[in-house]
Amino acid sequence: MPQYSLRINGKLRTVTAQPDTPLLWVLRDELHLTGTKYGCGVGVCGACTVHENGAAVRACQIAVSAATGKSYLTIEGLSPAADHPCQKAWVEEDVSQCGFCQPGMIMEAAALLGRQPQASDAEIDRIMAQHVCRCGTYQRIRKAIHHAALTSEKKTL
Amino acid sequence: MRITRRVFLRDGSRSAIGLTLAFHLDFSALAAETANAQEFAPNAFIRIGSDNVVRLWAIRSEMGQGVRTLLPMVLADELEADWDKVTIEQARMETRFKGIRLRTSGSGSAAGTWGPLRKAAATAREMLVTAAAQQWQVEPATCRAENNTVVHLPSDRKLTYGQLAEAAAKVPVPAKPRLKDAKEFRLVGKPVKRRDGAAIVSGRAVYGLDVKLPGMLYAVMARCPYLGGKLVSCDPAPAMKIAGVRRVVPVHTGFSGGVAVLAANTWAAIKGRDALRPVWDKGPNASFDSDSFMRELEQSLSQPGFPIRRRGGAPAALAASPRKLEAIYEYPYQVHAPLETMNCTADVRAGSCEIWTPTQAPEAAQQEAAKLLGLSPDAVQVNVTMLGGGFGRRLQVDYVLEAVEIAKAAGKPVQLLWTRDDDMKHGFFHAPKIERLQAGLDANGNLAAWLHKSCGPDLSVLGVPTEADRKNPNFYSDDGMPWGLFDNPYNLPHHAGDFVPIQSPVPTGPWRAVMYPSTVFARESFIDEIAHATGSGPLELRLRLLEPGDVLDLKIAKIDRSRLIAVLRMAAAKSGWTSARREEGGRLWGRGIACNVYSEDCYLAQAAEVSVSKDLNDIKVHRIISAVDCGLVLNPLGIEGQAESAIAWGMSAAMGGKINFRSAQAQEHSFADFKVLRMDQAPRVETYLLQGSDMPGGFGETAVPTVAPAIANAIFAATGKRVRRLPITAAKLVAG
Repeated sequence: MPQYSLRINGKLRTVTAQPDTPLLWVLRDELHLTGTKYGCGVGVCGACTVHENGAAVRACQIAVSAATGKSYLTIEGLSPAADHPCQKAWVEEDVSQCGFCQPGMIMEAAALLGRQPQASDAEIDRIMAQHVCRCGTYQRIRKAIHHAALTSEKKTL
Repeated sequence: MRITRRVFLRDGSRSAIGLTLAFHLDFSALAAETANAQEFAPNAFIRIGSDNVVRLWAIRSEMGQGVRTLLPMVLADELEADWDKVTIEQARMETRFKGIRLRTSGSGSAAGTWGPLRKAAATAREMLVTAAAQQWQVEPATCRAENNTVVHLPSDRKLTYGQLAEAAAKVPVPAKPRLKDAKEFRLVGKPVKRRDGAAIVSGRAVYGLDVKLPGMLYAVMARCPYLGGKLVSCDPAPAMKIAGVRRVVPVHTGFSGGVAVLAANTWAAIKGRDALRPVWDKGPNASFDSDSFMRELEQSLSQPGFPIRRRGGAPAALAASPRKLEAIYEYPYQVHAPLETMNCTADVRAGSCEIWTPTQAPEAAQQEAAKLLGLSPDAVQVNVTMLGGGFGRRLQVDYVLEAVEIAKAAGKPVQLLWTRDDDMKHGFFHAPKIERLQAGLDANGNLAAWLHKSCGPDLSVLGVPTEADRKNPNFYSDDGMPWGLFDNPYNLPHHAGDFVPIQSPVPTGPWRAVMYPSTVFARESFIDEIAHATGSGPLELRLRLLEPGDVLDLKIAKIDRSRLIAVLRMAAAKSGWTSARREEGGRLWGRGIACNVYSEDCYLAQAAEVSVSKDLNDIKVHRIISAVDCGLVLNPLGIEGQAESAIAWGMSAAMGGKINFRSAQAQEHSFADFKVLRMDQAPRVETYLLQGSDMPGGFGETAVPTVAPAIANAIFAATGKRVRRLPITAAKLVAG
């Protein structure tokens, strides 16, 4: 089986996998980074969202053979002590219910705030509507994103 | 007590294989297994170590309802433990929890454990106080427990729970420990955040698929796509050609049987499964079509049903009424589709088995796995992981049995994954219904007759009623079924409620709010129709029909109408209730209201505000407010969260997807074609609490059923268009 060298959470990791294996399963089965979740496998629920060179992407839609030479960040690597403003805001606003979608939601929100710290409600809705939360925690997610935006702003001042 | 179907759904006292699970109400009487000498282990849920750490066990599955926070809160409060020093562990099927219910169903986690957990914790607290008093040689009454310490009040001497653990273990168990007074609660009633919050947002929380065992193989199955069909043959060769595939094994148990592909990783298992070309016998239902079935249900309305409610002579009163109204409502098939698909990890060894799975029914998982393997239940351990959503789907253990059978064949630990497509097509679906409502109005427009006939499948997981069952006219009403029809709260002079069970080949089971969604959608829409037809006002008519605010005694359930009146009034006040339409921003705006009582202990009224574009092509739900009386509020943050969640659930069914069967196959594959609520459509949700009882009621499902009628009623208020068949779509408004 072919080997691939992947940059994940700042480290180069070598994995052995078939070329068409989605990054999602490489992360989960080979690297045991299980914070990235399987929800649909067809890119419509957002549970497997990771960052690719800083942009939010669906790990179930990226073949490992296309993942070399790029830099990926998973929920485990988002912040050293799980204290990214989004993670803190999610806890502070008591967002999670079953929690299964939340790592993907947080990765999406972190990427959004990274490029657009003052995202409007409409923009937040448009981006986050790519994700499914079957527990319906949307109201608190919205609040948490605003909360995170505020704390990130204070930090940069 | 007769174990009824109602009790089964709520408590699971009767499983599909007919076993009865003992449920000891008095947990504190259970002896704990031997703990180590430095530990105080007064019962199965509490351990206090010499390190002063209080370990508490959650005895329900966490599926988003916050139970891993709520139940330990109850324990910690009564125990006077320091919430910051408490660690929370998950109970599992093992000797220590034998006889203690772990099943999570019927919104009953809080109500069902409140008393026993408090008593268990109070017992432990008194033993700690006694141990301290003995050490100081003082009267226990002069000591107080607070914050993981016992204090001798006159001298201000203190000993931590850790320092007292060893001695407390030797103190006699008090027969009647004092329970705290409500005003002494420190955690109960306060907004307490989820204890799992930090683990979830860091990706550390362990769900079913996050379990990894050494040497584990990954499995994905091909199941018969035809309802009731079966496997004829399957050539393993195409799967075996996929790199990483190790074996192909037949599976006989579980949902429908089929073939499992075992591989070194998940992707190889998925590809191997997809490569198979099994030959299926389509079985006896090959032509089943859900649209045809709904028409069949509508035709079945002419059949006599089981009498569910009877008061006066409704048919005669209807016939004699100068004005009659009739409407037919439709609630289609729905699937649970929790975000984490079904999965199970199993390790079957000679004479024993260990299971890791996100389940709401660990007892059934243990019993049925033991039966499958020919082992005693004690030889099967079931570890309950976090559940990525449950909603009733995880009360079934089909996926557990599949994994156990595959692991046995493999001789190695196996993790079985259901793909999203598997999950959409092989559910225990929400049973569809056709509901017919008829009203007779007298010359003054007063409601003289009310007839409600509900027609649709029984829940197939309860088993098909026998010939004798069918001859017993009270078969359903004795169990208080169907919910929402049986416990219609209104004071109706001539009232007939009937249920016509028509079975379908689709497996059906409890879905969030079980039987209420369809009956309440029909009932609360029809009240609105009568209100508009008679110019009564939707709120006013409901209030009038609940007069005199008395207790409706249905023998097996009692409904306090005054509590429903109170929440209706609160919903009206908080929403700025008006039934008037307005135009703003080029859109038509309207409000709708609906109410219901869930399982007699939780009262709720909901008001929805919607706007519709003038061409009717765009519907937007802006705001849904709920007024709730679920008795004693244990955690307001949790109640508000469950309201938000239940409203999203109700909206997904009201405005989103349904499951269509063509040629005995569910047509939907994923969230691309089964539409659920997403953030851009999510309304503003507000929740207001009243407390009409000092006992906690169950709230996980209560806010689901009223969502569809509140929205349909609001749309009618805005546009004059009535949608009676879910889901509500712009196309239906435009058409008619």
